[in-house]
Order: sequence, then structure tokens, then C-alpha cells
Amino acid sequence: MIPTESIDRLVAAIRDGNDEVRGTAWQNAGPAGAPAIPHLASLMVNPNFEVMRSARRAIQRIVRHAGRPGAETEARAVEKELIALLGVDAAPATAPVRREALWWLSEIGSEAAVAPMSTLLGDPDTREDARCALMRLPGDAVSGALRKALATAPEPFRFALAESLRQRGEVVEGYPSQKLTPTKRTAVG
Amino acid sequence: MTLRRISRRRFLQTTTLVAAGAAGFPTVLPRSVLGAPGQPGANSRLVIGQIGTGGMGATHLNNLLRFEKEGKVRLAAVCDCDDNRLQAAWENTQKQASPYRDYRYILERKDIDAVLIATPDHWHAVQTVHACQTGKHVYVEKPASVTIREGQAMVEAARTNNVAVQVGAQARTAKGAWQTCRAIRNGIIGKVRKVTCWHYASPQDDTPVPDSEPPEGLDWDLWLGPLPWRPYNRRYAPGTFRWLMESGGGQIRDRGAHQFSTILWCMEADHQTSFTVEASGTVPKKGLWDTAVDMHVVYQFKNPDWTLEWGQPGNKVGQTEFGNVFWGETGHLVLEWEGGYRPANPEAVAFQLPPGGKEVYRTDEYEDFNMNHKADWLKSIREGHLRPAVDIEIAHRTATLCNLGNLSMLLGRKLVWDGDRQEVVGDPAANRLLSRPQRYPYCL
Repeated sequence: MIPTESIDRLVAAIRDGNDEVRGTAWQNAGPAGAPAIPHLASLMVNPNFEVMRSARRAIQRIVRHAGRPGAETEARAVEKELIALLGVDAAPATAPVRREALWWLSEIGSEAAVAPMSTLLGDPDTREDARCALMRLPGDAVSGALRKALATAPEPFRFALAESLRQRGEVVEGYPSQKLTPTKRTAVG
Repeated sequence: MTLRRISRRRFLQTTTLVAAGAAGFPTVLPRSVLGAPGQPGANSRLVIGQIGTGGMGATHLNNLLRFEKEGKVRLAAVCDCDDNRLQAAWENTQKQASPYRDYRYILERKDIDAVLIATPDHWHAVQTVHACQTGKHVYVEKPASVTIREGQAMVEAARTNNVAVQVGAQARTAKGAWQTCRAIRNGIIGKVRKVTCWHYASPQDDTPVPDSEPPEGLDWDLWLGPLPWRPYNRRYAPGTFRWLMESGGGQIRDRGAHQFSTILWCMEADHQTSFTVEASGTVPKKGLWDTAVDMHVVYQFKNPDWTLEWGQPGNKVGQTEFGNVFWGETGHLVLEWEGGYRPANPEAVAFQLPPGGKEVYRTDEYEDFNMNHKADWLKSIREGHLRPAVDIEIAHRTATLCNLGNLSMLLGRKLVWDGDRQEVVGDPAANRLLSRPQRYPYCL
């Protein structure tokens, strides 16, 4: 268990006004592990965009460090904290934080992450990132979640879900691919 | 008697009328296909649309206009998601080409045979695959792709749809690289066991700016395309996508795509698809740009054994900002830049093939290597073999080196790449990052 003082020091460094202090902190944040995540996440809504960016990058380092071969226990602990960031009651409960958490879970999430990630398929602010992030996870649970969402999603989003299901080898009735359908006209000429 | 009318597209893909006649059916060639003696028929020219007109796109546009003047192509369309650039490109064609914002309008045109893609790197794979799926030949800027799975999809799309895909690593048809290649392959320095690259550092953003509204005329949704949605920031574009890991991938994916392509060619190592890669580097501590400022990557190949090293800054042996050194048994040979813009080392220029030496082929139709590389592509279509000098499979293998170099640095660990299985051995988290799902509808 990482000492609380270390997390406090990390958070203080991420909030520091000095680029060098902040930068060194996030670049070495990997070993801080799961306990640091909620504290760093709270800085992702800091009004200083470089503090926000540094906090996000620190969590990214933690995720990638935990994803190394042989670190399964760490990966599960990080996964648990990332799942907590998805919830509507999470702090900070903002769409940008949830979107980032989805993509981080796409890197190390297990089957346990599928259901919580899938709940965000119903949120207009996060559903496209949720769909993309789920595509990185293997297994039938993902296909099941996408198909369940297909039944209730707004019509435009159903096309995207159908695309995902077909990419996973599923047969989908209707909702033909729109990827080759042009939509944007120019005023030039 | 059954007559088969041959389409213009089919004519362009067929090497000889005898081949067509050998199918057993008399073939009627429309008059529009044949031209007057000494003049290519109007309908024998490849009809091309260009997608992306900024940066290197401007050079490509001028090249295509020159080919058009020579009667070899017809530039039918130009496309850009930035209306300002589109306006300039359209005017450069004397308003003869049709302007589009959305590249899919070009792809749905049956009269267009081919596209030239010069958009930011995160678009290369999606647009190439889509173009192949609509039966169009493709010339696409390097690097081929920003992920391994994208590259695989591009190869599959080219093969399934039987089209020629040339990637713009022009050195393989350029004189400097060719002279170096034939010298290396014929033992100018004996067996080569190590090749090192030096390259100046990537820039850092010392004055980061907050997100803002996109500039007038830029379709930000279309610029992002397959990337996840985020607000516009002035540090994304134009041109600075180069310093974003998810798009340009830094110097190793930009110039590395050139240098590694030339090196693999010289070493006859396109088939050596398995290797280990170990990278370290430093990235900026602030700002939007996140690619390596300085970097060191070591690739180890087996059978034959040799080492490739990428250095930012690396060990600068030559005179210019970046280049390569081949270290052989009997000496070393420098290649400045990548063998395109700069000439070869004088030793390589003067090199004479020994008796029984192996000549190296290259298309040699233009002194200008940008023109020459496109001529090579056109030739592969005209001759029907559809395998230009930097065919997409070759470019995918080169991009794999670039992409895995970045991945090793991001993960902070050595990766063992199995080229047959196209995966990292024993590293599920690394394998997750071989793909990046695309934002709908801009997906593979």
C-alpha cells in the first residue's frame, strides 16, 4: 500500500505552478497505483488546464504501469478505481472524466468492466466513447451489451452500434453502414 | 458472336490487347479509349481526386497538374475539410477540378479511378480502406497507418479489391537511396550488422493555449474524423498534428517512415517481420504535444541478425539534420536524410557493380523524385501488376517499426513482436493498443 504522504506529495506536485515540478510528477506517477486515482481525478476539473492535463496524464501513467505483464493484482485494483469514475454519483461526475475513464478501461479492463462501461452507452455525452472503448475488450459480454443497447438506443446511434456488432462478427438486421455516405457540402465553388 | 465491351477502367488494368483477346471473346474498345497516334487518348488517362491539399498536399497538387499537362492524368476533384485550403486548391486547378469538403463524394463518383490522400496521419487508413472498397487505386502519404491493425486493414483492402496502393515514402524510387541500396547490397562495406539513425529532437510547446472555437472555414468534426471527440485547440492544426501521438506520432513516425523504409530496402529486410523493440525517451512536461522530444529505440532482427537504432538526437555521423549510417565489416556508409531530397554519399554514387553483382530496379522517369514516385504508381496500374515500389504491405511493415517504437516507449518496456501472428508476445495490454477504435462513421 502506497503511503498517504506519497499521494499527498504527488497531488501537491501536480497542482504546482512550476512546469518542471508538475511535469516530473506526472511522468513518474506510474507506481503510485490505484489509491492515487480518485485524488488525481479530482484535479481533472481544475480551472488551470495544465493542471488538468497533468492529472490526466498521471492517471494514464498509472494505467499503463499496472498493465504490464505479471501485474494482474495492480491492474484489477486500478480497474476498480476507474470503474468508480464512471458512475453518475462519482466525483467529479463530469463527461470528460467519464470519457477518459472509458478509454483507460479499454486498455486494461476485464469482463468486470463491461457492465459499468455499457451503462454509458445510454448517455449522449459519453455513448460514442463507450462504444469505441468497449470494442477493445474481448469476449461475448461486450457483444451482448452492444446488442442490448441497440434495442433501446436513439435511431442515429443504432447505426454505430450495428457497425460495432458486425465488426465483432455478429449479424445485424437493418441499419446499413453509413461510413461511405457523404453528408458534408462545401460552400467553395 | 458475343462482343464484350471493355470499360475504361478495365483497359487501364490490362497490359495488352492480346491478353484481352486471349479471353476468347472479340473485344470492342470504345473510341474514347483510343487516342490519336502519339497522343494518349482522353479516356486512357487516370482520373484522380485529391483528398487533403495542405502541407505536402500542395506539392502533390502541383505534381498532378504537371501530369495532367503531360496528358497522363485528369485531376477531376480536390477535397479539404478546410474551406480556405479548398478554395486555394480549387483555384490552383483553374477551377477545373470539382471542389468537395467530404471525401466520400469523391469515392462515390464512378468516373474517378484513383485518389491521392494527403490528410493528417490519423485519416490515412480509413480513407485508404474506403477508397479501396470503392475500387479506386490509392496514393497515400506516409506513414501508412497509426496503429498496427489499421495497417493490416489497408493491406487487406488493397488485395481484396485488387487495386494499387502506393505509400509516399519516395526514397525507394529516388536516385540517392537507389545508389545507396545497390552499393550496400553489393558489399561496398561488407556485411552490415547495424544501422543507426540520427534525428533532431521533436518540438515542445512552451506556450500552451486553452481549447477554443475552431477557425472560420475548418470543419473540426471532419478534421478529427476517426479520433475521439475533443474541443478544438490551436495546437492541433495545421501541420502540428505531427506532434500528437494519436496522429503524427512524432519524428519516428514521420521521418522514421522514410528512413526505415530506405533502410529495410537496402538491407533486403522487408520480409523480416519479427523483431524485438526497446525504446526509451522523454516527452514534453507541458502542452498538448506528447510525442518524444528525445528518444532511443533499438530493434533487433534475427536470421540474419542485425540491429536498427533510432536516435533522437542519436549519434550524428553525417552533416545534415538527420540521416542514417550503415555499419559494415569493412567500413561504414552514411546516407543523409532518407535518400530522396539529398544525394547519396559520393562513394555510393561512384560505386560500380562487381562482376555478378545484383542490380536494383527502380522506376526512373523523372528527375524530381516526388514526380518519379507517382510515376512508379501510375506504371504499376498501367502494367497491371498493382505492386508499386512502396506497396501498402511494405509500408505497413515500415509503419509497424515506427508504431511499435512509440508503443515500447509509452509502456516503458521491451516488446517482442511476432510478425507472423502480428501480435506482441506475452503482453495483452500492449496488444490492446495495437488498435484504436474509430469514431463513427469515420471507421474502417
